[in-house]
Amino acid sequence: MRRTTVILLRNPLSMLGVVLVAAVVISAALADYIAPFPEHRGAVVDFVHFNQGPTARNVMGTDLVGRDLFSRILYAFRISLLLGVVVLAIATPIGTFVGLLAGYLGGRAEFALMRLTDVFLSIPPLVLAIAMMGVLEPTLLNAMLAVTAMWWPWYARLVYNITRSEREEGYVLAAEVIGASTLHVTFREILPNCLPAIITKMTLDMGFVIIIASSLSFLGLGVQPPTPDLGSMVAEGARYLPDSWWLTVFPGLAILVAVFGFNLIGDALREILGADQ
Amino acid sequence: MTPLLSLRHVSKTFGSGPRAVRAVRDVSFDVSRGECLAVVGESGSGKTTLANMILGVFGQSSGEIRFDGRALPSRRTLEHRSAIQLVQQNPLSSLNPKRSVGASIRLGLDVFGIGRRSDRWRLVENALEEVGLPGDFRRRAPAALSGGQCQRVAIARALACQPRLVILDEPTSALDVLVQARVLRLLDGLRRTKGLSYVFITHDLSVVRNVADRVAVFRSGELVECAETGAIFENPRADYTRRLIGAVPVITDHELKLRESLSGGLPA
Amino acid sequence: MSAVLEIRDLHLRFRGHSGVSEVLHGVSLDIRAGERVALVGESGSGKSVTARIVLGLLQELPYAEVSGGLFLEGADLNRLSRRQWQGLRGTSISMIFQDPTSSLNPVFTIGAQFAEVLRRRDPGLPRGAADERAGALLRSVSIHDHARVLDAYPFQLSGGMNQRVVIAMALANHPSLLIADEPGTALDVTVQAQTLKLMHDLVERSGTAVLFISHNLGVVREFADRVFVIYRGRIVERGPTAAIFEAPGHAYTRALMAAVPRITGGGPPEPNDGETAFLDPMVVHEGGGA
Ligand SMILES: Nc1ncnc2c1ncn2[C@@H]1O[C@H](COP(=O)(O)OP(=O)(O)O)[C@@H](O)[C@H]1O
Ligand SMILES: Nc1ncnc2c1ncn2[C@@H]1O[C@H](COP(=O)(O)OP(=O)(O)O)[C@@H](O)[C@H]1O
Ligand SMILES: [Mg+2]
Ligand SMILES: [Mg+2]
Repeated sequence: MRRTTVILLRNPLSMLGVVLVAAVVISAALADYIAPFPEHRGAVVDFVHFNQGPTARNVMGTDLVGRDLFSRILYAFRISLLLGVVVLAIATPIGTFVGLLAGYLGGRAEFALMRLTDVFLSIPPLVLAIAMMGVLEPTLLNAMLAVTAMWWPWYARLVYNITRSEREEGYVLAAEVIGASTLHVTFREILPNCLPAIITKMTLDMGFVIIIASSLSFLGLGVQPPTPDLGSMVAEGARYLPDSWWLTVFPGLAILVAVFGFNLIGDALREILGADQ
Repeated sequence: MTPLLSLRHVSKTFGSGPRAVRAVRDVSFDVSRGECLAVVGESGSGKTTLANMILGVFGQSSGEIRFDGRALPSRRTLEHRSAIQLVQQNPLSSLNPKRSVGASIRLGLDVFGIGRRSDRWRLVENALEEVGLPGDFRRRAPAALSGGQCQRVAIARALACQPRLVILDEPTSALDVLVQARVLRLLDGLRRTKGLSYVFITHDLSVVRNVADRVAVFRSGELVECAETGAIFENPRADYTRRLIGAVPVITDHELKLRESLSGGLPA
Repeated sequence: MSAVLEIRDLHLRFRGHSGVSEVLHGVSLDIRAGERVALVGESGSGKSVTARIVLGLLQELPYAEVSGGLFLEGADLNRLSRRQWQGLRGTSISMIFQDPTSSLNPVFTIGAQFAEVLRRRDPGLPRGAADERAGALLRSVSIHDHARVLDAYPFQLSGGMNQRVVIAMALANHPSLLIADEPGTALDVTVQAQTLKLMHDLVERSGTAVLFISHNLGVVREFADRVFVIYRGRIVERGPTAAIFEAPGHAYTRALMAAVPRITGGGPPEPNDGETAFLDPMVVHEGGGA
């Protein structure tokens, strides 16, 4: 663990990733203190300053009802991170469980679980989410559900593939010969060997979940106003391009920073943890 | 006295129909208490398949395997599992890279309920000391050990289960010759002090010569010849055994002479 | 008489995450025309890296630092461009690896791979002529149904057959130096013994110089004219094979020999400990021109 941290901080690119992600997390956590206009996260109207470009007062300009964009982006980070964390916190255990059992047990369990996984994988992710959101109400909770439903199968696949190859290792035979239970072999012996790949994928996925969630709200299917969300901000601003460019450019850059940061760390972790699958 | 392990007409076929592989064909032999039986053969001759059947990893297709006078059931009891232990060829892969050496050794103690719970770490340390490693190695990860040390840990893991029969599947094939020599001495000493029986699987006849009481020569799943080690190396019956002996690399003229006289002009 | 290969004071260091590791500490070695020289030592002692340096492969790694003199038939290899060095591989220097089946390309037939090899020396050699020469080469390694073998893919042949193919390919372009790195270790003992005998006879007839890398003293004794014993990146003993095996001079060599189980019996070998003596200065046996 300490070695990982040291290596992470030595490479300039992964260092940049750490800085970007730290910046995003800190601004989300401390939004109440950093944001110049904390009340602008909600339904506030300020017609004196509406739709203005960057100024000393509003460094990233204001939106169509006069709210400070910078403040809203800080709060939007909160939503993005929350979404990412919740989605991965649900999708990863489900996928891991399915993948471990299918990969280790083989036979009918493998067939059933992996065909189910394939069904989910065969539907383009955004289409699945859109279909779900069409049935459900567009709320933050449902957006999380929809993204989770399309995310777990990727973990199932990943863990399944690793388990299949680990199953052939001598240490698994050793545990089986001693007579360890299936639960012990899968969770105590095999799972620790999947963790590097899982952690790497989770880091990379934080970025992707943020993008997908933003895409959903871009389509009006995600987080609803007045809650600030990077995707909806880009969507709304896109109608006023190129004149009111700041409405799109700054939220867009914010997405880029978050996604790029997580990707840099993920790439570095892949190398350090040797999780090249 | 009944032999400790006894195989009667044991066969194993993988798959069925035209693609069936007959990995072990009608094999019978015994291993008595305290004996080291070497199983020799080239790759694919069915040695590991044989080991797996004795261990109960899978059942035999036909025939009977008896242990201590009673037929081994296909679902092994706890007692049988602890009595028959395994040491594998590849020392690195046989230890979980993500678990400490001690945790790997302790698994058997927990499963078989050996010793009191609070006592088990001490038992783990004893097992390590028995194979010539310091007890505090239990905290180490396998990656921090050399190949020979890993193999000692694997031996300690098997011994901690208090077995009566240990199956050694090419235990020194992946080791350097200096390390091999030490591990061979260790295994030999443990067998004598603990009264263990070994099924020593290997393709190296010069190792066999020095550790085994009896030798079973396998070829394509069949038992070609089974005899006392002395008899095999003084008067090999089967041509195949002669060929195997003729292919052993030797380092002294003395050995060379013996080899030439045994392989009896057969093409190497 | 000039050496086919001369390695002078070779040093190698790898730079890694956890600092620099020194792998070769001044290795010197020479092979004269038609001579079979063995480099023998335990795994990790630096045998394969030495071979890869002669082939110019390690020098291409950004994290490897190589220094020392390398001469092939008197020509300074260090002065070659990367392309020129590449041009030597498969023509002047050829190589045989541990596992014959995986060193052949699984998606091409043996015939196609032979043609490829022959064209390194004769660009534009037509396939028919290539097959004819390949057939003759296969006969030299006792493969008589060469038409079938040339049409086959590597996985359709046995390990021993592939090993013969690899030997024939390695000698196809009349290299001045053949490097064999643990040849046939992945094969069965009987097959390994056969193919080594075959290789021995073939290089003897063609007068090819061989750098033979192995960890197996018995195999070395049967194959080599001269032996270099390597321990942790240092040559600890060198001399004619007979001299070394009759009277090993270095503590490490003696320990190695003591550790080899004898087919004459005598119980598990007792390796003398005392690893400190393994770092003693090199022992040189004169004779054989060493
Ligand atoms: N699980 C399996 N399924 C199908 N064939 C197998 C299986 N295990 C081994 N075999 C086949 O059985 C034969 C004997 O294999 P094995 O016992 O591993 O030989 P050895 O250990 O002597 O090298 C080989 O032909 C091998 O391909
Ligand atoms: N590409 C590499 N990067 C880092 N270390 C290496 C590399 N190749 C070999 N080594 C190290 O160099 C030493 C010698 O390796 P090698 O020549 O392959 O040994 P052997 O004598 O078994 O052929 C080993 O300690 C090995 O870990
Ligand atoms: Mg085997
Ligand atoms: Mg090597």
